[in-house]
Amino acid sequence: MSEWTGVLDLVMENRQGRSVAKSVYFQGAFKVMRPVYFNKNSYPCYYLLNPGGGYLDGDRYQMKVTLGERAMLTLTTQSATKVYRTPTEQVYQETVIRMKKDSYLEYLPDAIIAYKDASCYQKNSVYMEKGATLLYAEILTPGWSPEGEKFSYEMLRLKTEIYMEGQLVVFDHIKLHPASQDMNELGFMEGYTHLGSLIVVGEKTNDALLDRLYEVLQQEAGEFAFGLSKLAVPGFTIRILANYTQVIERIISVCHHVISEEWNQMKPSFLRKY
Amino acid sequence: MGIAMTNHALSLLQLCDSSFPIGSFSQSFGLETYIQKNKVTDADTFSEWLHVYVHEQLAYADGLAVRLSYDALDIDDLDRIWELDRILTVQNLARESRDGTQRMGDRMLNIAEAIYKIPVLTTYAQKIRDKQAFGHPAIVFTMIGHHLQVEKNTTVLYYLYSTVVSLVQNAVRAIPLGQTAGQKIIYTFQQQLQQTTDKIMKLDEEEFGVVSPGLELSQMQHERVGIRIFSS
Repeated sequence: MSEWTGVLDLVMENRQGRSVAKSVYFQGAFKVMRPVYFNKNSYPCYYLLNPGGGYLDGDRYQMKVTLGERAMLTLTTQSATKVYRTPTEQVYQETVIRMKKDSYLEYLPDAIIAYKDASCYQKNSVYMEKGATLLYAEILTPGWSPEGEKFSYEMLRLKTEIYMEGQLVVFDHIKLHPASQDMNELGFMEGYTHLGSLIVVGEKTNDALLDRLYEVLQQEAGEFAFGLSKLAVPGFTIRILANYTQVIERIISVCHHVISEEWNQMKPSFLRKY
Repeated sequence: MGIAMTNHALSLLQLCDSSFPIGSFSQSFGLETYIQKNKVTDADTFSEWLHVYVHEQLAYADGLAVRLSYDALDIDDLDRIWELDRILTVQNLARESRDGTQRMGDRMLNIAEAIYKIPVLTTYAQKIRDKQAFGHPAIVFTMIGHHLQVEKNTTVLYYLYSTVVSLVQNAVRAIPLGQTAGQKIIYTFQQQLQQTTDKIMKLDEEEFGVVSPGLELSQMQHERVGIRIFSS
């Protein structure tokens, strides 16, 4: 295949209880900022950033993240991912995450904003070993057009495959193609404009956690709809329909809090973005 | 040849009967959530739901899987079949729909085992017992259709038809609709089934498993719907 517009390769390891980068490599239009250890956490938060300010026609990005045994990491973006008009070729981003035994990853990027006539394909593959825990979120907005028209992008496709010990355990395929789908129709976005997902894979998942998440989300204010369901392996998905990015962010953050409290006996850090 | 083919298609038709006991009468795949929310209230709103369900979720997952597993059976690529069994199961993120489908696959397989002697069915049953496969009605159905030498597109079409017939019967009970209204929907839907089959035959493999957010949400929400007559 042709060359990458940006490449990032981050390897984390657990060094006497503290998670640190074993190696960080980036090239082209993909960068990470220096890690931040919030609240004296034993593991860092890395912020991804796109120095070009957005993805352009035909851009291809590759991100590899590897977590060694018991390594922990929070990964997020510095701001929303903007995909500009792609008149000739869609933007492609490939993410490959490898998680060794008992590692922990929170990958909570900001929303994707696709501009008028933009096409974007994002493919995530996660390879987990036993005992590893993954929290992965995504937020899709109706995009941006000069006229303020919603869903003016061409297509957004997000595929996520999660493997546990080599076996496919989660397959998620979101494809929004406004020209061929009536977004407001029953079965699609049903009057909402934003779509959020939180996929969690972790051995500690149990019914009590799901009940608690359900209760908490029931009490959240704002206009949104959500579904919550267990995966075929210990873990669950939360799917959210709403009209504002902030509403989905808040819901994901609330769930993140509950999960951190239950599983790590800690409050997650507010992911400060400058 | 002509007569033999007809008989073969007739054998496959047996599986399409809504009384074929695989438990489809207890699966609404989220329809019940829409009924409880008063979004599906009559023949028109039900047809709207059925349209999206068949053209989207069913086409991209089960329908495409029938075509792909038929191709795999043609070249005796069983590994591909087990791969499809897995991806079909794990792409279904709503637990009740996933578990319900698995139970239907299991029952269909048991009955088929009692009727037919198809080696690949026996292998499939063994794999499920050994927890190396999940069991999915789309794959069992295809194994039978392929064995009976029913053409690929006809196998796809019949599979969609069998799903629609069961869902209409469920709607008749749950909404409720009159029996005649139900039969009218099945009749009117025939053209759409043909269209969906054509779409499936042309679909790129990359399109597998595209989610319809609203449908999926309703299937997840069904877990916490108050009074329920369906298990999904």
